[in-house]
Amino acid sequence: MAEFARTNAAIVLESGKEYLVESRLSPIARQQGHESLDAFVEHLRSGRAPADLRQIVLDALTTNETSFFRDFHPFETLKKEILPRIVQERAAMRKLTVWSAASSTGQEAYTIAMVIREHFPQLRDWTVNIIGTDLSSAVLKQAQDGRYSQLEVNRGLPAPLLIKYFAKDGDRWKVKDDLRKMVDFRPMNLVQPWPVLPPFDVIFIRNVMIYFDVETKKGILRKMRACMMPHSVLFLGTAETTVNLDVGFDQVSYGNTAVYRVGAAAKKP
Amino acid sequence: MNATYGPIDLDDLITNANELAPLPASTVRLASLISRHDYDLHEAAEIVSYDQALTMKLLRAANSAAEAAESRITTADDAVFRLGAAQVLTLCVASSVGPIAQGAVPGYGLAEGGLWRHSVAAARASEALASACRTPIPPETFTAALLHDIGKLVMGRFLSAEILDWLDRARGIGFTALEAETQVLQVHHGELGGIIAQHWGLPMSIVHGIVHHHHPEEHPEVICDAVCLANLAAKRIEAPNAVITPQAGLLERLGLSAVELDELCDKSIARFDEVKGRFGVR
Repeated sequence: MAEFARTNAAIVLESGKEYLVESRLSPIARQQGHESLDAFVEHLRSGRAPADLRQIVLDALTTNETSFFRDFHPFETLKKEILPRIVQERAAMRKLTVWSAASSTGQEAYTIAMVIREHFPQLRDWTVNIIGTDLSSAVLKQAQDGRYSQLEVNRGLPAPLLIKYFAKDGDRWKVKDDLRKMVDFRPMNLVQPWPVLPPFDVIFIRNVMIYFDVETKKGILRKMRACMMPHSVLFLGTAETTVNLDVGFDQVSYGNTAVYRVGAAAKKP
Repeated sequence: MNATYGPIDLDDLITNANELAPLPASTVRLASLISRHDYDLHEAAEIVSYDQALTMKLLRAANSAAEAAESRITTADDAVFRLGAAQVLTLCVASSVGPIAQGAVPGYGLAEGGLWRHSVAAARASEALASACRTPIPPETFTAALLHDIGKLVMGRFLSAEILDWLDRARGIGFTALEAETQVLQVHHGELGGIIAQHWGLPMSIVHGIVHHHHPEEHPEVICDAVCLANLAAKRIEAPNAVITPQAGLLERLGLSAVELDELCDKSIARFDEVKGRFGVR
């Protein structure tokens, strides 16, 4: 399974975490009628497994942990430090483009949209594009639907914002159209050739690269840099950094949050 | 349909949580009143007085030896003044939840009565914390402490031997019990407890106290710190030789020293023995 995950999604499955693979794949193995997980893995290795089943397995192996306002501080930095400067910088173009890479079920992208709606009313008549990408078709579908369970909205979403930007839809909460229209979700595998992307003002790629090996991290950071402008900002997860991976980035700290800009040492590929 | 994969169906889990019998309307109204913090005790007494069974229960509690009553309490008004609104709410919730929380929860290694015993010990500890902490503790904390592990009641039904093995193995490589739940099940018992409290229509402060009782630093309300410490203190109350280690910053935020916590636990052990009959602890 480790080889399958590395080849198809560059995910490094650490030794000792076999329980995690078993817990994610056993229900699928049973659903597919295999007597044991070993038999299911053998089926996958045989090459006879159809593409959609391979995708389901990849989806299951991908950690999709996410929440609204996850870690809180990056969104405070976005609100107080980053967006005010970018709004000035882009005033002539009246255009803001944000990328939520490995967006999972969309909570990060919608959080960014709520920060913009709540604190930057002057952007109402700008062209604001928030693009969420992920390799998993299952999580992208939920992100596009914008429907979340009570459990999901309980994770980090303040009640006033829930009431303002979501509507009850059966046992789910659905993102209202105004917010939904700000966000566009697309399939994209970070470790395969990238599609043509617009230049981004802000990129969020948090808690993703921890799953990749060093060479994959370097490759992604190099390509990210090529999508950034001099004023652009990159957000990584709290346990992630560009240090020792890409000298083309300068780190800038704002209290509890570090962001990365394209530095003088950058050499575009 | 949830887009994530795991050994349990999260939608099914939430449906099970939402199938627990509702709390009486009087209890929900009382909880809502108390969480406003500007309530009048007469308002609380009025809510209680409309529920005859509840009034009888409160009169018994107010007249019990544990309350060291000098004169006999005969009205809901006097009972609420004697016990205090926070304890009245805890008793109301306990009278509904106690019977369902008495069962064994094998998935968590809890024998019959074990979950309820720990819950009542935590409620008792939170009452003691409210007197001892220099940071004001909101009155609904007692109820949040009583319900902090209620998620285990529903979650326990989903934990097969296979899942318990995965959780064991996650703990075996250094994850805490809560981290193991999050990793393997993609939800932890605090979150599920929060869903149950919401289903019961309890105030959001109680929901937050339940959800964040293992990681109070994730949410800024004092109730989260208080329930977290009450959970730890309850372990000392149940097993007096147990060593408890509050996480960094917790005691400071609540305005309590380690020595004071020790003293509080010691005093609570005797008090727990006095009140457990009132809560139906076996």
